[in-house]
Amino acid sequence: MVDNSMINLPAFSTVTLINSILVILIAYLLIRIITFILTWSSERAGQYRITVKMVIPLLKFTIYGIALYYILANILKLSSEQLVLFGGLLGAGIGFGLKDLFADVIGGMVITFEKPYHVGDKIKMGDYYGEVIDIGIRSTRLVTPDDNVVSVPNFLIFTQAVASANAGTQEMMVVIELFIDSGSDSAQAMKILKEAVITSKYVFVSNKRPFTVLLKDFPFYRHLSAKAYVNDLRYEFEFESEVTRRTWEEFAKNGIKAPKVNVMDAGSKI
Amino acid sequence: MNETSVNNAETKPDSGIIGFQKEIADIRTAIAGFEMGENLNIAIISEPFSGKTALINEIEQNITQKATRFSFSSFVHDISEITQILDSNRIVILDHCEFIYTRRIGGFDVLEDFLKLTVSQNNMFITTWNLYSWNYLEKVSNISKFFPVQIYLPIMKADELKEYILSSYDKDEIKFIEDVASEKEKLIKFVNYPFTLKSLNKTINIPFLKINKIVLEMKVSHNEAKVTVEELIFDRIHHISNGNLGVANVLWHNGLEYPAIRPSRIKDFSFNIDIDLNEAYILGIILSVKSIKKDELSEIAGSEFNIDEILFRLVTLGLISLTEGCCTLKPEALHSIVDYLKKSRLVW
Repeated sequence: MVDNSMINLPAFSTVTLINSILVILIAYLLIRIITFILTWSSERAGQYRITVKMVIPLLKFTIYGIALYYILANILKLSSEQLVLFGGLLGAGIGFGLKDLFADVIGGMVITFEKPYHVGDKIKMGDYYGEVIDIGIRSTRLVTPDDNVVSVPNFLIFTQAVASANAGTQEMMVVIELFIDSGSDSAQAMKILKEAVITSKYVFVSNKRPFTVLLKDFPFYRHLSAKAYVNDLRYEFEFESEVTRRTWEEFAKNGIKAPKVNVMDAGSKI
Repeated sequence: MNETSVNNAETKPDSGIIGFQKEIADIRTAIAGFEMGENLNIAIISEPFSGKTALINEIEQNITQKATRFSFSSFVHDISEITQILDSNRIVILDHCEFIYTRRIGGFDVLEDFLKLTVSQNNMFITTWNLYSWNYLEKVSNISKFFPVQIYLPIMKADELKEYILSSYDKDEIKFIEDVASEKEKLIKFVNYPFTLKSLNKTINIPFLKINKIVLEMKVSHNEAKVTVEELIFDRIHHISNGNLGVANVLWHNGLEYPAIRPSRIKDFSFNIDIDLNEAYILGIILSVKSIKKDELSEIAGSEFNIDEILFRLVTLGLISLTEGCCTLKPEALHSIVDYLKKSRLVW
C-alpha cells in the first residue's frame, strides 16, 4: 500500500496547467490538420481511399498517447509513486462514473488495432447502417443512407455484433433482387439480369470479386437475385437502382412480367 | 466500314516490321501447330496505338497459306457479318475484335456466337483485341479459354521507336540540335494543385513539390554517362510515351520543327482529369475501342446519358477528338486516361 504522506504531489501551478492545456491543444490541432489532409488526399486516391483513411484513427491514438505521456512525464514530472497514485485516482474515477467513458476509449483502441472496421467502411452496428466517417476516442460516427450522422459509442464493439460490408476495400457486394411471374421465360430473365449487371457503370468484377445470378422457384412466382460488387461502396444504392431499372425495361421488351398482384403474399404463406 | 481482303502472298523470309520479332515467331509457331492439326486460335492483345495493325499486316504478308482478313471498324450486329467471310481459306485474320460485342444488354449475343464459331469451325482465328476490352471480356466472359495462344504486345524499346520514327525520313534528313533548356530541366519543381473551397465557391492553387519522373529515370538509366542528343531525344520520347508507338509519334511531331528537333521540344503531356462518373464511363467505352461513332456510343449509353454534353466536355479537356461524328481517343491523353479510369475502377 502506498503511503500518501510520503508522496510529494507535483506543484500544480498555473504555468503547469497552461502548458498541459497547450499540449492538449497542439495535439488536437495536429490531429485536425492531419485528419483534414489525409481525408482530402484519400478522396483523390481513388481505389486507395479507404487504405489512406485507415491511418487516421491510429494517428489519433498515437498523438493523444504521446501528448498524455508528455504531460505526465515532462510537465507534471510524476515519479513512479505519483503515477501509481494517479492510477489509483483514475481507477476511483472510473468506478464512480467515468467507466462508460473509459470503456469507450478502450473500445476505440480495440477498433484501431483490431480493425473490425475502418474509416470509409459501410457497417451495421446495432440498429444503424452507414459509412464510417470517423473513429474517435469516444465514439464512431456513421453517415446513414438518409444522410444522418450517428455517433455510436465505441464500447458497443464489446457487446454488439458489427457487420462490415466491405472490410476495408472500396468495393462491396450488392444483392439485387427481382420477382417475376412463373409463366415468364426465366432463362431469358437471368440472361438479361446478368447483362444488366455486367454492363453497369457501377460494377466491379475481378477474379476475387465475381458475380452470380441465381433463380429460385416459388409456387406462384420466381425470385431472381444478382450478387455483384459495386466499384465504390458509395454507389451501393445507385448500382441497385440502375440495374433494376434497366432490367425491367428489358423485361418489358421481352414479355417478362412481374408476379400478379397478391400472388407473392399467397406464395409466402404456403 | 468493315473491310475484307484475301491474301495470296507466299512466305517472305525476312520481317519488314520493327520490333515484335518474338511475337511474330510465336504466331508462326502457332500457325505451324495448326497445320499439324492443333486448334490454336490466337489473340493478339495490346493497348491502343501500340502497333497491332502493323503486326497483323506483317503476319498477313508472311503466312504460307491463303488467309482471309477482316478488319472491324464499327460494331458487328449480326454473326452473319462474320460467317459470310469464312470461305475456303482456313486461316481467318480478324482485326479489332473489340467491335464484336457492345457493352449493353443484348450486346454479347454476337460475341457468344463468334466464340462458338472459334471452337466448332475448322479454321484458325488470328484475332487482335484492345487490351481494355479484352480485360473486361476476360472478367465477365472468361474469353481467354477460346484463345489458347495469347500474345500481349510488349512496349517498344527506345531504339525501336527511333528506328520506326526515322524510317519515314532519309538518312541525315533530321537535324538533332542540342539546346541549353534540356540540360537545365529540374528534377524537383513546384506545381499548383487546384483546391476548391466549396463554402466560398472559390478555387485556390496549393503549391506542391513534384519530382520530375522523366528526369529522374533518365538520370538513373544514364548513370551520368554521356549520351548523344539523338539518344536523349528518343529516351525522352520513350519515357513519356511508355513505349507506345502512337504516343511517341505525337510527341515526335509536336516537337519537330522540320527539319530540326531539340530535346527541350519533347514535352510531357499533362492532363488534369476532373470528370463525373457518366463522363468517365463514356471515356472508358471510347478507350476500349479507341474510336467509335457517336451514334453507336449513344446506342450503348442509353437514354440516361446526354452524349452531346459528355462529348463536349471530353473534347474540351483534350481527351478525345470528335471528327465527322467519330469520337477518337487522343494518343497523348492515353496514359492519363488509363490512370484515371483505373483509379476510378472503371477499367480493370
